[in-house]
Amino acid sequence: MDKILIIMTSGPDTPRRCATPFFFASLAAAMDYEVTMFFTIDGTLLLKKGMAETVYPKAGGKPVGDFLKDAQDAGVEFLACTASTELHDLKPEDLIDGVKMVGGAKMWQLAEERKTLTF
Amino acid sequence: MTDIRGCNLPEDLYYLIEKHVWAKPMADGIVRVGMTAVAAKLSGSNLAAVTVKAKAIGQEVAQGKSVATVESSKFVGPVPAPITGVLVRGNDALASDPNLVTRDPYGEGWIAEIEPSNWDGDKGKLATGADGLAAYQKKLEADNISCA
Repeated sequence: MDKILIIMTSGPDTPRRCATPFFFASLAAAMDYEVTMFFTIDGTLLLKKGMAETVYPKAGGKPVGDFLKDAQDAGVEFLACTASTELHDLKPEDLIDGVKMVGGAKMWQLAEERKTLTF
Repeated sequence: MTDIRGCNLPEDLYYLIEKHVWAKPMADGIVRVGMTAVAAKLSGSNLAAVTVKAKAIGQEVAQGKSVATVESSKFVGPVPAPITGVLVRGNDALASDPNLVTRDPYGEGWIAEIEPSNWDGDKGKLATGADGLAAYQKKLEADNISCA
Protein backbone atom coordinates (compact mmCIF):
# COMPACT_ATOMS: atom_id res chain seq x y z
CA MET A 1 0.00 0.00 0.00
CA ASP A 2 1.18 3.52 -0.75
CA LYS A 3 1.98 5.73 2.20
CA ILE A 4 1.36 9.43 2.75
CA LEU A 5 2.88 11.84 5.27
CA ILE A 6 1.12 15.13 6.00
CA ILE A 7 3.18 17.61 7.98
CA MET A 8 0.84 19.97 9.82
CA THR A 9 2.35 23.30 10.87
CA SER A 10 -0.80 25.49 10.86
CA GLY A 11 -2.66 26.12 14.12
CA PRO A 12 -5.43 28.11 15.82
CA ASP A 13 -4.03 31.46 14.59
CA THR A 14 -4.92 30.49 11.01
CA PRO A 15 -8.27 28.64 11.22
CA ARG A 16 -8.81 28.58 7.46
CA ARG A 17 -5.64 26.53 7.03
CA CYS A 18 -6.68 23.94 9.61
CA ALA A 19 -9.56 21.86 8.23
CA THR A 20 -8.36 20.90 4.75
CA PRO A 21 -5.27 18.96 5.87
CA PHE A 22 -7.50 16.70 8.01
CA PHE A 23 -10.00 16.41 5.15
CA PHE A 24 -7.24 15.40 2.73
CA ALA A 25 -5.94 12.91 5.29
CA SER A 26 -9.41 11.30 5.63
CA LEU A 27 -9.75 11.23 1.86
CA ALA A 28 -6.37 9.53 1.41
CA ALA A 29 -7.36 6.95 4.03
CA ALA A 30 -10.60 6.34 2.11
CA MET A 31 -8.44 5.72 -0.98
CA ASP A 32 -6.61 3.02 1.01
CA TYR A 33 -3.40 4.98 1.51
CA GLU A 34 -1.70 4.52 4.86
CA VAL A 35 -1.74 8.06 6.26
CA THR A 36 0.38 9.66 8.98
CA MET A 37 0.00 13.26 10.17
CA PHE A 38 3.05 14.76 11.83
CA PHE A 39 2.21 17.85 13.93
CA THR A 40 4.86 20.48 14.50
CA ILE A 41 5.24 24.26 15.01
CA ASP A 42 1.64 25.56 15.65
CA GLY A 43 -0.02 22.39 14.37
CA THR A 44 0.66 20.73 17.70
CA LEU A 45 -1.69 23.18 19.43
CA LEU A 46 -4.64 21.56 17.60
CA LEU A 47 -3.89 18.38 19.54
CA LYS A 48 -4.36 20.11 22.90
CA LYS A 49 -7.48 18.70 24.57
CA GLY A 50 -10.49 20.86 23.67
CA MET A 51 -8.57 23.22 21.39
CA ALA A 52 -9.68 21.98 17.94
CA GLU A 53 -13.34 22.29 18.99
CA THR A 54 -12.88 26.07 19.39
CA VAL A 55 -11.34 26.66 15.93
CA TYR A 56 -13.79 27.41 13.11
CA PRO A 57 -12.48 27.67 9.51
CA LYS A 58 -15.87 29.09 8.48
CA ALA A 59 -18.38 30.96 10.65
CA GLY A 60 -21.39 28.70 11.23
CA GLY A 61 -19.53 25.69 9.81
CA LYS A 62 -17.94 22.67 11.45
CA PRO A 63 -15.13 23.13 13.97
CA VAL A 64 -11.68 21.74 13.17
CA GLY A 65 -12.35 19.18 15.91
CA ASP A 66 -14.92 17.46 13.66
CA PHE A 67 -12.43 17.19 10.79
CA LEU A 68 -9.79 15.92 13.21
CA LYS A 69 -12.12 13.24 14.55
CA ASP A 70 -13.10 12.15 11.03
CA ALA A 71 -9.40 11.65 10.27
CA GLN A 72 -8.84 9.63 13.44
CA ASP A 73 -11.93 7.52 12.69
CA ALA A 74 -10.60 6.90 9.16
CA GLY A 75 -7.44 5.42 10.70
CA VAL A 76 -5.01 8.31 10.22
CA GLU A 77 -2.03 8.06 12.56
CA PHE A 78 -1.23 11.19 14.61
CA LEU A 79 2.34 11.95 15.66
CA ALA A 80 3.37 15.03 17.65
CA CYS A 81 6.86 16.52 17.46
CA THR A 82 8.20 16.51 21.00
CA ALA A 83 10.14 19.76 20.54
CA SER A 84 7.01 21.61 19.43
CA THR A 85 5.10 20.47 22.51
CA GLU A 86 7.88 22.03 24.57
CA LEU A 87 7.58 25.24 22.51
CA HIS A 88 3.94 25.49 23.59
CA ASP A 89 4.49 24.19 27.15
CA LEU A 90 2.32 21.15 26.46
CA LYS A 91 2.77 17.96 28.45
CA PRO A 92 1.88 14.57 26.94
CA GLU A 93 -1.21 14.43 29.19
CA ASP A 94 -2.43 17.76 27.74
CA LEU A 95 -2.87 16.12 24.32
CA ILE A 96 -5.94 14.26 23.01
CA ASP A 97 -5.98 10.46 23.04
CA GLY A 98 -4.35 8.57 20.20
CA VAL A 99 -1.37 10.86 19.70
CA LYS A 100 2.16 9.48 19.83
CA MET A 101 5.09 11.77 20.73
CA VAL A 102 8.13 11.42 18.48
CA GLY A 103 11.38 13.27 17.80
CA GLY A 104 12.10 15.30 14.68
CA ALA A 105 14.31 12.56 13.26
CA LYS A 106 11.23 10.33 13.01
CA MET A 107 9.76 12.82 10.52
CA TRP A 108 12.76 12.39 8.20
CA GLN A 109 12.58 8.62 8.48
CA LEU A 110 8.89 8.68 7.58
CA ALA A 111 9.46 11.09 4.69
CA GLU A 112 12.02 8.75 3.15
CA GLU A 113 9.37 6.21 2.24
CA ARG A 114 6.26 8.39 1.92
CA LYS A 115 4.79 10.98 -0.39
CA THR A 116 4.92 14.10 1.78
CA LEU A 117 2.76 17.22 1.91
CA THR A 118 3.20 20.19 4.25
CA PHE A 119 0.43 22.52 5.39
CA MET B 1 -39.59 1.06 -5.52
CA THR B 2 -39.82 0.24 -1.86
CA ASP B 3 -39.86 3.05 0.67
CA ILE B 4 -38.22 2.27 4.00
CA ARG B 5 -38.05 5.15 6.49
CA GLY B 6 -38.21 7.52 3.53
CA CYS B 7 -35.34 5.74 1.73
CA ASN B 8 -35.90 4.30 -1.75
CA LEU B 9 -34.57 0.71 -1.60
CA PRO B 10 -35.50 -1.52 -4.58
CA GLU B 11 -36.20 -5.14 -3.70
CA ASP B 12 -34.29 -6.63 -6.66
CA LEU B 13 -30.85 -5.29 -5.66
CA TYR B 14 -28.25 -7.02 -3.49
CA TYR B 15 -27.17 -4.92 -0.50
CA LEU B 16 -24.09 -4.89 1.70
CA ILE B 17 -26.11 -3.30 4.47
CA GLU B 18 -23.28 -2.31 6.82
CA LYS B 19 -21.63 -0.27 4.06
CA HIS B 20 -24.81 1.08 2.40
CA VAL B 21 -23.82 -0.13 -1.08
CA TRP B 22 -25.70 -2.19 -3.66
CA ALA B 23 -24.85 -4.69 -6.38
CA LYS B 24 -26.87 -5.58 -9.47
CA PRO B 25 -25.95 -8.39 -11.90
CA MET B 26 -26.13 -7.21 -15.52
CA ALA B 27 -26.84 -9.32 -18.60
CA ASP B 28 -23.16 -9.78 -19.54
CA GLY B 29 -22.01 -11.27 -16.22
CA ILE B 30 -20.78 -7.91 -15.02
CA VAL B 31 -22.07 -6.58 -11.69
CA ARG B 32 -22.91 -2.92 -11.40
CA VAL B 33 -22.39 -1.33 -7.97
CA GLY B 34 -23.33 1.93 -6.29
CA MET B 35 -24.34 3.73 -3.13
CA THR B 36 -27.81 3.36 -1.65
CA ALA B 37 -30.18 6.26 -1.05
CA VAL B 38 -29.19 5.85 2.61
CA ALA B 39 -25.51 6.47 1.82
CA ALA B 40 -26.47 9.50 -0.26
CA LYS B 41 -28.43 10.87 2.69
CA LEU B 42 -25.58 10.19 5.14
CA SER B 43 -23.08 11.93 2.83
CA GLY B 44 -24.99 15.17 2.99
CA SER B 45 -26.97 14.93 -0.26
CA ASN B 46 -24.89 17.62 -2.02
CA LEU B 47 -21.73 15.91 -3.18
CA ALA B 48 -18.61 17.77 -4.24
CA ALA B 49 -16.99 14.77 -5.92
CA VAL B 50 -17.31 11.04 -6.50
CA THR B 51 -13.99 9.65 -7.73
CA VAL B 52 -13.51 6.08 -8.87
CA LYS B 53 -10.11 4.61 -7.99
CA ALA B 54 -8.55 4.81 -11.44
CA LYS B 55 -5.48 2.91 -10.27
CA ALA B 56 -7.62 -0.07 -9.32
CA ILE B 57 -9.18 -0.53 -12.77
CA GLY B 58 -8.11 -3.94 -14.05
CA GLN B 59 -7.25 -5.03 -10.51
CA GLU B 60 -9.16 -7.24 -8.12
CA VAL B 61 -10.86 -5.38 -5.29
CA ALA B 62 -11.94 -7.34 -2.23
CA GLN B 63 -15.44 -7.10 -0.81
CA GLY B 64 -15.54 -4.16 1.62
CA LYS B 65 -12.49 -2.44 0.10
CA SER B 66 -12.78 0.96 -1.51
CA VAL B 67 -13.67 1.33 -5.22
CA ALA B 68 -14.29 5.08 -5.03
CA THR B 69 -14.39 8.03 -2.67
CA VAL B 70 -17.16 10.47 -1.87
CA GLU B 71 -16.61 14.08 -0.82
CA SER B 72 -19.05 16.65 0.48
CA SER B 73 -18.81 19.51 2.93
CA LYS B 74 -20.31 17.14 5.51
CA PHE B 75 -18.56 13.89 4.76
CA VAL B 76 -15.53 12.26 3.22
CA GLY B 77 -15.21 8.51 2.90
CA PRO B 78 -14.88 5.39 0.79
CA VAL B 79 -17.42 3.58 -1.37
CA PRO B 80 -16.72 -0.05 -0.43
CA ALA B 81 -17.13 -2.83 -2.97
CA PRO B 82 -20.17 -5.02 -2.17
CA ILE B 83 -18.46 -8.02 -3.80
CA THR B 84 -14.97 -9.21 -4.68
CA GLY B 85 -13.96 -8.86 -8.31
CA VAL B 86 -11.99 -7.05 -10.96
CA LEU B 87 -12.89 -3.37 -11.27
CA VAL B 88 -13.82 -3.01 -14.95
CA ARG B 89 -14.83 0.62 -15.20
CA GLY B 90 -16.15 3.60 -13.32
CA ASN B 91 -19.12 5.76 -14.30
CA ASP B 92 -17.48 8.60 -16.24
CA ALA B 93 -20.61 10.76 -15.92
CA LEU B 94 -19.90 11.28 -12.23
CA ALA B 95 -16.86 13.44 -12.95
CA SER B 96 -19.03 16.28 -14.24
CA ASP B 97 -22.11 15.58 -12.13
CA PRO B 98 -21.39 13.73 -8.85
CA ASN B 99 -24.96 14.36 -7.68
CA LEU B 100 -26.26 11.77 -10.15
CA VAL B 101 -25.50 9.52 -7.18
CA THR B 102 -27.94 11.34 -4.92
CA ARG B 103 -30.62 12.01 -7.57
CA ASP B 104 -30.66 8.58 -9.20
CA PRO B 105 -28.60 6.21 -7.02
CA TYR B 106 -29.71 3.01 -8.78
CA GLY B 107 -29.81 4.34 -12.35
CA GLU B 108 -27.62 7.06 -13.86
CA GLY B 109 -25.77 7.38 -10.54
CA TRP B 110 -24.18 3.92 -10.58
CA ILE B 111 -20.53 4.09 -9.52
CA ALA B 112 -18.58 1.16 -10.96
CA GLU B 113 -18.80 -2.16 -12.76
CA ILE B 114 -17.07 -5.24 -11.42
CA GLU B 115 -16.36 -8.61 -13.00
CA PRO B 116 -17.18 -10.84 -10.04
CA SER B 117 -14.61 -13.38 -8.86
CA ASN B 118 -17.21 -15.44 -7.01
CA TRP B 119 -20.70 -14.01 -7.44
CA ASP B 120 -22.42 -17.16 -6.23
CA GLY B 121 -20.37 -17.12 -3.03
CA ASP B 122 -20.54 -13.38 -2.45
CA LYS B 123 -24.24 -12.93 -3.06
CA GLY B 124 -24.95 -15.17 -0.09
CA LYS B 125 -23.43 -12.47 2.11
CA LEU B 126 -25.67 -9.76 0.63
CA ALA B 127 -29.23 -8.88 1.56
CA THR B 128 -31.91 -9.03 -1.13
CA GLY B 129 -35.65 -9.41 -1.64
CA ALA B 130 -38.25 -8.88 1.05
CA ASP B 131 -36.11 -10.55 3.73
CA GLY B 132 -33.12 -8.42 2.79
CA LEU B 133 -35.12 -5.22 3.02
CA ALA B 134 -36.49 -6.27 6.41
CA ALA B 135 -32.88 -6.63 7.59
CA TYR B 136 -32.01 -3.23 6.10
CA GLN B 137 -35.01 -1.70 7.88
CA LYS B 138 -33.75 -3.14 11.19
CA LYS B 139 -30.35 -1.55 10.59
CA LEU B 140 -31.92 1.85 9.83
CA GLU B 141 -34.06 1.62 12.97
CA ALA B 142 -31.09 0.60 15.13
CA ASP B 143 -29.01 3.52 13.83
CA ASN B 144 -32.00 5.91 13.82
CA ILE B 145 -31.48 6.79 10.14
CA SER B 146 -34.24 8.09 7.90
CA CYS B 147 -34.07 9.71 4.46
CA ALA B 148 -37.08 11.99 4.99
